[in-house]
Formats: sequence, structure tokens, C-alpha cells
Amino acid sequence: MVRVAEPVIQVDELVRTFHTRRGLFRRSGKEVEAVRGVSFTVERGELFGLLGPNGAGKTTTIKMLITLLLPTAGRARVLGHDVVKDAHDVRGKVGYVFGGDRGLYERLSGLDNLRYFAELYGVPARESKQRVGELLELVGLVGREKERVEGYSRGMRQRLHIARGLLHRPEVLFLDEPSIGIDPVGARELRATVKNLVDAGTTVLLTTHYMFEADELCDRIAVIAQGRIVAQGTPADLKQQVTTGTVIEIEIFGLPDGVLEKVRAEPDVQSVVVDVQGQAQVLTVHAQPGADVLQAVMAHLEGSRFGRVITREPTLEDAYIELVNAA
Amino acid sequence: MNSLRLFFVGGLISYRALFGWLSPWILIPTFLFAPLFQIFLFVYIGRTAGVSDDRFFLIGNAVVNAAVPCLFAMGNTIGGERNAGTLPLLIASPAKRVPLFLGRALPVILNGFLVAVFALVVGALLLRVDLPPATWGGIAVAIAACSISCTGLGLLGAAVALRVRETAVMSNIVLGTLIVFAGVNVPVGAMPGWMQGVAQWLPMTHGIHATHDLAAGRSLGSVSGALLTELLLGAFYATLGLALLRWLEWESRARATLDTA
Repeated sequence: MVRVAEPVIQVDELVRTFHTRRGLFRRSGKEVEAVRGVSFTVERGELFGLLGPNGAGKTTTIKMLITLLLPTAGRARVLGHDVVKDAHDVRGKVGYVFGGDRGLYERLSGLDNLRYFAELYGVPARESKQRVGELLELVGLVGREKERVEGYSRGMRQRLHIARGLLHRPEVLFLDEPSIGIDPVGARELRATVKNLVDAGTTVLLTTHYMFEADELCDRIAVIAQGRIVAQGTPADLKQQVTTGTVIEIEIFGLPDGVLEKVRAEPDVQSVVVDVQGQAQVLTVHAQPGADVLQAVMAHLEGSRFGRVITREPTLEDAYIELVNAA
Repeated sequence: MNSLRLFFVGGLISYRALFGWLSPWILIPTFLFAPLFQIFLFVYIGRTAGVSDDRFFLIGNAVVNAAVPCLFAMGNTIGGERNAGTLPLLIASPAKRVPLFLGRALPVILNGFLVAVFALVVGALLLRVDLPPATWGGIAVAIAACSISCTGLGLLGAAVALRVRETAVMSNIVLGTLIVFAGVNVPVGAMPGWMQGVAQWLPMTHGIHATHDLAAGRSLGSVSGALLTELLLGAFYATLGLALLRWLEWESRARATLDTA
């Protein structure tokens, strides 16, 4: 008999509504549906991305999965444990890392922060010292571990967060925008660390705003917008779902008046976006599938001074923007 | 074993992490000078008014100062986590809550004990109040009982911090209540009946009474009933605090108040 492995994370129609009240005497209430029936599964050893704009419900979903929030409706299981009924079992087996400066004991050294969290996660005393040493090595904080965290840079704090999340060798790791505020070198090292963890068998659920990061790392992605999942699949699947064709990026110095409207009016042009980059403006033109609009667009720009002109296929970012805008 | 480590090692680390007064600039004035000023104030008021003797005011005001760390540091157990942004991590950890929070109480009890002992010893020396060496051991036991019971009440305050952002205000009110009701400057027997009723349920009342008796030469055995009552009150408040922590932890997950209380 073939036994089908249960997904490591199984989310079924998960809903979370927040109730807020204002006023001291004449209290008025407001309901916000942050997550509206989200469903997805994550298999063992998979790196699953949850992408979405701010307020889409990513962090709320993660908070329900790590037992910090109770769902309003629906259910979720992590490693076979119900996140409501078996919260204690879930907590011991998952790790949670979030981005930003907070979430560390400022008055303690990095080493003492890790020692304390090792106690909270029940890392046996005989393993604790060695494990903390390994993780300090992994995140590159050796030599700085005895300094108080209040003197750490944002990147160092983020690396300490990651070490903290890995102390108890979690089977599932939730990374909520872990690379936020980290410099490019640090972000690259973080991606390498995450890859190594997945190679070693850890299941990872990642949220990020950096599309190249998701494209590089994720086996599968779910795009969430306004509390609902609007698309799910591999990065390649999502790119194929994009209805746009070729993308043209034109760097131009001094965009003449009225040109933008003329380009938009071209029948094969789907959308046009202008982004100011230093002294130049970058015109990003999305063509209809199968159409070649380069010559038509360039004709409108005759007489202008150009920088680089790039023609490329749609990226994950293009797919993401289209999916989120359509939601 | 893990629970024991969480109790002892975890408790000590968290005390260092969360108790913002562990700086000489705050610690010395708050724990060493302020109690002495309070003792001097009431001793001189007592002398001027011609009521009671110096020893009465010295003991009450020295012992009640154990409540300062016991209430504020314990109350900060949750409030400090919220300020540091570590509260969600604490709640999402699998750590057993009883050793976790009782472990946090241990250094606080020691802190309270040392503050009161310092105030009593230095106050006695400066005011030339005679405390015979034979009474020192018994008085130390009584102060320890007061520190334990007050920390129990502080744990209840810590639990409330899961629902209320600012706990220092609440701790100040509780401290004021102890100074008024617990027989610090007015003997409980001289208070109106309803105040005596309140005093019986407060930490410090029985411990301070026992300390007065011990300083007057009575044996430890003769005040054991009062000290046991003091400890039972501490256990009662601590149990109430742990139960409230459990309930409010669940409620905070339901109402999403961990970050926003």
C-alpha cells in the first residue's frame, strides 16, 4: 500500500476577522476581514512563498500558523497538529523569524539572547552551548556575540533573529520579510542560508516584497491580495499567467509633453508606467501578447535623448503586479 | 531538567533583560536612597507628633520597600516584553508557563529582600535604633516572607499587563495601598474596621506585624502563624496570577491584543 505523505502545512479556508472599538463612552466598532478563506498546502522540504502587498493578510496568516492568533474560521494543521487544539505541539517544532529591529532583548548581548531563547525552546543544556556557537558562526556574528544588542546594526539584528529562529532545529521555518532593511551583501548571504536550510530538509514558508528573492528561492508561490489567494503555482507558472507580452524599458532624458498619452493610445500597448531615476525617466511599456510595439513607441519619442533601451520577457514582478491589480 | 533550567537560568537572564533599573544611576537612588528618605520622613514625623517610637516607623518603612522591586519588576515581566517586541516570541514558545514566570520571580524576591535589609540596617545605624543581634535571623525570615508574598501580587500585575499596556501606574497604586493599609505607619489595630479587613488580605500586613514582634524579642516560633499567613497570601496571589496569565494569553490570541493592548 502506498502511503501518501501529509502536507507539512495544510491550510483550509482560513479566516481571521479583527474587531476594533473606538471611543470611551459612545463606542463604535469596526470589523476588518484580514484573511478571507485562504487555502494552501506546503509539502515537506518545500520553500513556499507567500507574496502580497502590505495589509494583504500574509503576516496574519503566519501568526495563525505559529499559534499567535486564533482563526475566526477554517482550520490549519502544521506537521499534523491543529494550530488551535495542539498549539503546544506546533510551537516546539516550528521557528519564526520576522524582519525589523524589534524582538530582541536590547540590554543583553547577542550571546545571552540566544542562551535565553534556547531555554525557552527547551534546547538541552549539553547541546545549547554548541548549538549557539554553530549558529553564531552560521550568521557571521562570531566576535560580536558578547556585545549588547542595543549596539547592533540592523543587519546584525536580523542575523541574530535568524539564529534565534533556528536554535531548536525547527522542522518548519516561517520567515516573515526576513531581508527587510538588510544590505545587498547581507541579503545575498541570507538567501544562501535559506537555501542551505531547505537543502538540509527544513520546510520554509517565506513572505517577501522582493520578487527576485521569491523567484530565486521559492519552489511554489501563492499571491495573496485583500485576504484572498489570487494565484498559486511555481514562479514559472505565475509568469505564464501574465497576459502581457514583451516588456520594453526605455531610459529617456526629458519626456516630451503628450507623448505618454500617445503611447498609451497605441492599440497593442497594454500599460505604460513612468519611473523617475535620477535625471532620467524610465518608460516601462507592456505590450499585448505577441505584439511588437517597439517601433511604434520609438516613433513617438523621435527627437528625444535616450539612454538604454531594453526589451525583455515578463518577470515575476510583472506577474505579481498584474495579479494584485486584478484582485 | 528543562523546567529547572528555565526556572533558575531563564529567570536570571530575563531579570537582566527586562529590569531597566539595573543601572547604577537608577538603582542606587531608587533602592538605596529613596527607602532611607522615606524612613527619615516618617521617623521625624513620628518624633514631632510624639506618636510611637523610632523602631516602629523604621521597621514598617524599611520592610515595605521590598515591595518596590517585587511589584514593579514583576509587573514588567510582561510589559517589558511588549516594549521589546519579544512578547509574541515568548507566547509562541513552547516554554512551560509555571517555571517560566515563577523563575522570573526568584531574582525579584532576592532584590526585594536586599533592598529591605539594606534600608533596615542602614536606617537603624543612622537613627541609632537598637535591633539586638539575636533578632536579626528572625527578622530576615520575616522580610523574605514579605518579599515572596509581594512578588505573588506582582505576578498578578504581570498577568494584567497582557490586557493593559501601562502597568507602572497600577504598581504605584498598589504600593500606595500597602503603605496606607499594611500597618507601615499606622498600626493595623488602630485603623477603622473596614481598613483592618482590607489589610488582612494584603501582602506585608502579617509580615510587618511579625517583624515588630521579632524586634521586640519574641521568638520565630511565636510569629510562625503570621509568617505562614503571609506566605499563603503570596501563594494565593501567585496562583491567581498564573491562572489569569493562562486565560489572558488565550484571550490575547483570540482578540489579537499581543501587539496592540
